[in-house]
Amino acid sequence: MNCLETFLHFVSFRNRSALFIRNLTIFYMPNQSIKHLMRFLLMFLWGGVFFTHAQQVTGTVVESTSGDPLPGVNIVVQGTNQGTQSDFDGNFSIAASEGDILVFSYIGSLTQEVVVGSSLEVNIALEQDTQQLTEVVVSVGYGLQRKSDLTGSLASIDGEDIARLPVSSLDAALQGRAAGTFVSSPSGTPGAGLSIQVRGSTSLTASSEPLYVIDGIPMISEDLSALFSGGQKTNSLADINPTDIASIEILKDASATAIYGSRGANGVVLITTKRGKSETPRVEVNSYYGFQEVTNVIDMFTSQEHLKLMNDAALQDDRDLGTTYGENYISDQWGFDPDDPEIKTTDWYGAIFRTAAIQSHDISLTGGNDQTRYFTSLAYFDQEGVQIGQGFKRFSARLNLDSKINHWLDIGTNVMVSRTVSDRTINDNSLYGVVVNTLAGDPLMPVREEDGSYANPFDYFGWWMLDNPLLIAEQYSRFTRTTRGLGTIFAEVTFSDAIQFRHSTSIDYTSVVDEAYTPMISRESSRAEADGLGYYDSLEDFTWITENYFTFTPDLGDRHRLNAILGTSFQASDRNFSDINAQKFPSDQFVKLAVAASVTTGSTSGTRWGLSSYYFRFNYGFDDKYLVTLTGRADGSSRFGSDNRFGFFPSGSFAWRASEEDFLQDSNIISNLKLRASYGVTGNQEGIGNFASRGLYGIGSYRAAATLVPIQLSNKNLSWESTSQFNIGVDLGIKNQVNITADYFVKQTDDLLLNRPIPGISGFGSVNDNIGEVENRGLEFAISGQKEFGDLTIDSSFNISFITNEIKSLVVNNQVVSDSHVLSEGHPIGTFYLIDHDGVDPQTGNIRWKDINGDGKINNGDRTIVGNARPDYFGGSSTTFSYKGFDLNVVFQFIMGQEIFNHSRASYENLGFNRLSGSFVLPDGNNHVLAKERWKNPGDQTDIPRASLTKKNWREYSSRWIEDGSFIRLKTVTLGYDFDSSITDKLNLNRLRLYVQGQNLLTFTDYTGLDPEVSQNARDLRQAGNDFGTLPQTKSLVLGLSIGI
Amino acid sequence: MKKVYFILIVCVTISSCDVLEPELQTSLPTESAIVDTGSAQGVLSGIYSSLQDADYYGTEYVLNPDLLADNSVFEGFYDSQQELDNKVVPINNLWIGNCWVDIYEVINSTNFLISKLSEIDVDDSILGEALALRALAYFDLLRVFGEHYDDGSIYGLPLLTEPIPENDFNQIPDLDRNSVAETYRQIVSDINQAIPLLAGTGSTGTISQWGALSLRARVNLYHKNYQAAFDDANKVITEGGFSLVTDLKALYEATEATKESIFEIEFNDQDQSSFNTFLIRRDEYNADASLVSFFEDGDNRSNFVNVVRNRNKSGKYPNSDNANNAKVFRLAELYLIRSEAAVLKDNDPSAGIADLNIIRKRAGLSEIQSLSTVDAYIDALLYERRAELNFEGHRFFDLVRLDKAGEILNLEDFRRVLPIPKEELQISDALVQNPGYASE
Repeated sequence: MNCLETFLHFVSFRNRSALFIRNLTIFYMPNQSIKHLMRFLLMFLWGGVFFTHAQQVTGTVVESTSGDPLPGVNIVVQGTNQGTQSDFDGNFSIAASEGDILVFSYIGSLTQEVVVGSSLEVNIALEQDTQQLTEVVVSVGYGLQRKSDLTGSLASIDGEDIARLPVSSLDAALQGRAAGTFVSSPSGTPGAGLSIQVRGSTSLTASSEPLYVIDGIPMISEDLSALFSGGQKTNSLADINPTDIASIEILKDASATAIYGSRGANGVVLITTKRGKSETPRVEVNSYYGFQEVTNVIDMFTSQEHLKLMNDAALQDDRDLGTTYGENYISDQWGFDPDDPEIKTTDWYGAIFRTAAIQSHDISLTGGNDQTRYFTSLAYFDQEGVQIGQGFKRFSARLNLDSKINHWLDIGTNVMVSRTVSDRTINDNSLYGVVVNTLAGDPLMPVREEDGSYANPFDYFGWWMLDNPLLIAEQYSRFTRTTRGLGTIFAEVTFSDAIQFRHSTSIDYTSVVDEAYTPMISRESSRAEADGLGYYDSLEDFTWITENYFTFTPDLGDRHRLNAILGTSFQASDRNFSDINAQKFPSDQFVKLAVAASVTTGSTSGTRWGLSSYYFRFNYGFDDKYLVTLTGRADGSSRFGSDNRFGFFPSGSFAWRASEEDFLQDSNIISNLKLRASYGVTGNQEGIGNFASRGLYGIGSYRAAATLVPIQLSNKNLSWESTSQFNIGVDLGIKNQVNITADYFVKQTDDLLLNRPIPGISGFGSVNDNIGEVENRGLEFAISGQKEFGDLTIDSSFNISFITNEIKSLVVNNQVVSDSHVLSEGHPIGTFYLIDHDGVDPQTGNIRWKDINGDGKINNGDRTIVGNARPDYFGGSSTTFSYKGFDLNVVFQFIMGQEIFNHSRASYENLGFNRLSGSFVLPDGNNHVLAKERWKNPGDQTDIPRASLTKKNWREYSSRWIEDGSFIRLKTVTLGYDFDSSITDKLNLNRLRLYVQGQNLLTFTDYTGLDPEVSQNARDLRQAGNDFGTLPQTKSLVLGLSIGI
Repeated sequence: MKKVYFILIVCVTISSCDVLEPELQTSLPTESAIVDTGSAQGVLSGIYSSLQDADYYGTEYVLNPDLLADNSVFEGFYDSQQELDNKVVPINNLWIGNCWVDIYEVINSTNFLISKLSEIDVDDSILGEALALRALAYFDLLRVFGEHYDDGSIYGLPLLTEPIPENDFNQIPDLDRNSVAETYRQIVSDINQAIPLLAGTGSTGTISQWGALSLRARVNLYHKNYQAAFDDANKVITEGGFSLVTDLKALYEATEATKESIFEIEFNDQDQSSFNTFLIRRDEYNADASLVSFFEDGDNRSNFVNVVRNRNKSGKYPNSDNANNAKVFRLAELYLIRSEAAVLKDNDPSAGIADLNIIRKRAGLSEIQSLSTVDAYIDALLYERRAELNFEGHRFFDLVRLDKAGEILNLEDFRRVLPIPKEELQISDALVQNPGYASE
């Protein structure tokens, strides 16, 4: 048995005649298998009585493409009750007479009939039946399971569906593809981290990201770079080459995730990479090349329109406030004629955005024999940023090896090495961000002066811009280089058919180096008189994990099936950092710190953590109808208080396959009906410090000497977040053509890891503690189907999820988390807390701010809850049309009901507001064209107030900038053609495919900002839905080629 | 058997793993932070690190009183500073929330150090410094949050003088506010205890006996104990060995202590403040137009207010590496304290003229010949204090304690102190808000 089969063996029926293994897929027809079995038993009992004249016909049955022997094939003499089954090596022997017709039938294969001739030997090759219902074997953590046996809730994604999307990481490829899984790309930054929430967000300060497990290794998935870049994070998942992935499973309910115990509460994403098969070697070469652009830019005023708005602002103030600026006050002060058509208008977005190339090339070799199988690949991915100054490159290599040493021992390895280089710029809410400096870009200011030098914003008429954004984009040097090695060696020992043991030891090594240089010509450097600012940070993480588990599959007879695992796991991480800052460079030609005259920071530090775990899972099935799973894991973590170090996470689930009952057995409509229910408890321990439970003194400095400073108070009780989840679900198959899965869940998280506010007289504002409760409730619905119309096949799927999130309790209600967000009981995570308004007064054109506390002043004391960033529902659809060699795949994604705090708009809808107290007027800068809709005359009904040089109508943190962020997006369109074998044969190829693919080509939204899929604080859900100087999403069009040799 | 060997090897490997007790690499458990003189000195130095916090002497505590008053104007970005400049400070203002905690951090460190010093044998001066710093911290809190100008007020501070038991957050006491008189008593008691312990110390980067005496002089001045204020200021001026720096530019450009320095919180290019960042590179603390036009002709101190790109900027922290120190006490202030105390202790308007003239002379101004009334003296004093000490953290407190806030800042009476931060009221049952402010 090869390694893969061993896996399957662990979890499969004892009667393996029903299984046909090929490429991780089992073709399985449950209804028929039982019937065949019964028929076989009858034949066995009675067959010999009536037919005694025949001779013995023998032969072998093999699978037509692989040539592998097929055990368990039913062979019947047509028109009789006489039959047999092929044995383990595909051999059979049956009594038949010449002229009899032998009927060979096998699940997943086309039935074949053979007339018995004079020869007593019949060898036959059965072909696959692609029409039959196919059922996928899915990875469930510590083993595989057939989907029909599942009692929990999970979503499964085929690697081929996501392998060649023009995105840098696998998480981006999951968008819109799995029910209950909200994947949000916070910006279009190449190689940047996404936010994935499986069934809502369970955490406030701890991470709400799922646990990623690649080939059994829980991998590091956080941002490891220390380089400041605004709100966007680097993405450890981008170290993984998506084209190596065979499948992804997203474990959702407690029954599925409890095997990962203290790390399962946010869901688990299981990534399985490709492995070799027992076949002749195959080489695959894939390439695509294409171009990307931003999805949208904001239309801004021309210089003339801008000057007219400024003049209008002065006149409106004259009318409303009694000032006496008069006509053309601003344009005269600045020395322009607003009607002069010669005044140029600078297109700032055009200056920083570009059409950027994206390309990917990979080659893989797979093959093997009965002893050894291999998959190896080499891949290169290169994405230029749509914003100047950004880019992402990845080189990666992989070798997956399986080796059968003898009948009881299998050994294998998975090794991956990758190198990524991220070329970064600062963005989001930062002084020297590229986009943020572009927002209100002064149209009167050129990008470059006539001598070619970068124009200095302080020579022009905008307060907002702190430095020329093109200078920042082009001249800052900021690189994050990551080297990642993931290696596993595993061994499987087969004691008997009933007992197996698996050991694996893995290493996850990451080295991250950040190197940056802020040039002398930048204002950041010149204002600090720094003569260039250089940074060098490094991080090295070494994590090892060892797993050992037994699998028991005792033979309990035909009606009972039992599969149990019992194991332990130990994991530890050692992480070391360094950090060097320097300045006083001789010139901008140098970026390395060796030439810097002054080192301002130089330090190293390190930290460690460990996890030790014990787990079991028990699957029992009775009569194929009633399925029970019990799972438990005990985890001990070094992060928690000495009094609360170990936690136990149990779950149980039950499923009833109603379609196996007599009353549905023969139904022509319902081909599958399974009802599931589960309940369990899982934990979360991410997002807090490794030593968060202890009272600590740390190192400070004073007068160039080290000092001891208090860091935190102790909390001996600090422990896991614990999430209990109840799930009921139904899987329904109609006529083997349409599959529907629906799930309802209630996910209650208590003991939230949260900064508990404590009296400030302690010298601390908060401690880490387990407080508060969050509840997520949701309904997930997925439907998929396939229909043929002659040569045309349509495959279609659709998913939609309705998830509500509510903070049930907090120690201190209405905890403010930022200038725009609050945590409040009865409201979801990501709730906006801003100064509110009641529209524009049609008589004065002024905003009617709400004086919530009634003190006659409008300030922070008047902030109130004005909405939230939670979508009401979200989902996606995928439809594939296949016609002869052509295929067309169309994927839509939608997110409805989310609100966005369009903070950027406070800058580009300033309506003339001047921050200086002197006589010189300096507005933030330009306005977007929507400002034409502003109030101009008494009686105007509009939601944009009058222009003004005062800040009367301008409040940065106000509900004026809250917008509906709903959108529907044409996520992916792929048109491909597979060349016919008549052509590929001539070229000596197995496969030749050409395709064009578009990503994010169309977006339908009312949002007025750059792109509605946005978050300035990429992975902080408490501050979700904030758009401030954030790079918009990209759209792309690529041309691709796949060659199989 | 082979299979069994395999399992055995694996089991042995596993049992050798202890992953749950990783060692601390860059921090110490609090209970073992102080074990000897070296570590006690480390914790003491750490108190100065805490004083360097951006909310305290690292920037905001020094600059915000000018924003609250008429020296500084907000033309920048951050709400917190804008609210201070508006002089209508909401209870959820960012700075008051941070400042309360950060100053109590200094107090807790001193409490911890003082409690440990009885267990180990160390230099007296360590205890002296800890006591003096605790007094400084309580006084700085009192000026912002307590009715320091009214000795009969019940709105003083919650006084915590013991470390948090076992460093456990569950054991933080829920304290109510002591009266203003009790708060002053605690402050003065700490300084009185500290001064003899500090005898012979003289560094300017840590609090010396002169620093402690200067503190007591300032405290007594605020507390209207003018004789005591006069005596302490006089002692520092006559016995401290300090002298005024003649070249004002040298005084402000220096990144090291000058001969005028009594106590400075020191910064350097590797241990930076945020003064230059905020004053020069940002627009939160631009100089107010009224400060620009306020100087008498010929006052050299007017040279430290410059116009840069349509904005008025203070030039007092010119070092671009943020290496200028925060001047907690310098000799010029002591002259002004002695002057004020001399006048107010006997209501003699001319008793303080000589000291005012020392400061005026250094600024290039003519001497004041005579002042006929105490009110006239107060006006002259306020001119001098504003001209001399702008952007050094005095203006708002001066206007409040000399009862000029209503007149000059048009401030409602209750706004002479800032509100107790909202989050503190939310988690404490005992703590009460200052009169006039909302409690939630």
